Amino acid sequence: AQGTTGGPSGGVIDRRRLQELVKEVDPLEQMDDDVEETLLTIADNFIESVVSSACMMAKHRKSNTLEVKDVQLCLERNYNMWVPGFGSEELRP
Amino acid sequence: GSQIRSCQDKTFLPHDLLMARIAAVAKKHGLEGVSPDVTRIVSHATQERLRDLISKLSTIAEHRMEIYKM
Repeated sequence: AQGTTGGPSGGVIDRRRLQELVKEVDPLEQMDDDVEETLLTIADNFIESVVSSACMMAKHRKSNTLEVKDVQLCLERNYNMWVPGFGSEELRP
Repeated sequence: GSQIRSCQDKTFLPHDLLMARIAAVAKKHGLEGVSPDVTRIVSHATQERLRDLISKLSTIAEHRMEIYKM
């Protein structure tokens, strides 16, 4: 196994944070190293894919800046995920 | 009036590393800037994505154990 940092592609996610999350979901869960490795890769790919499509969204509205609403739209459309709590954005029902 | 609730302040992923990563992707797409809240939403979404996967895996693993018990 690798050290505490990084997925296979030098990702941003920390192995220890992943283990904490596993304990949060199920305190008795034991996870094999290669499962951890796979989850780190999935997380890495997720970030890459979300940020990439968000960038295309930003370009589509002819903006020079990537904004929260671009990411929100991608998450909603591609992953059916709505992340609340970004007060700077307009409120939605 | 309306009440605004925010998600936790401490981010799941290290802010600086994630910011660098996002900025690199944005640059590749020809964008000049990244709004500061973008790291928080990406971090939070990644955490939720993993949480969902882990709970599914946990359920599946339990089923696998049942077979051994029989």
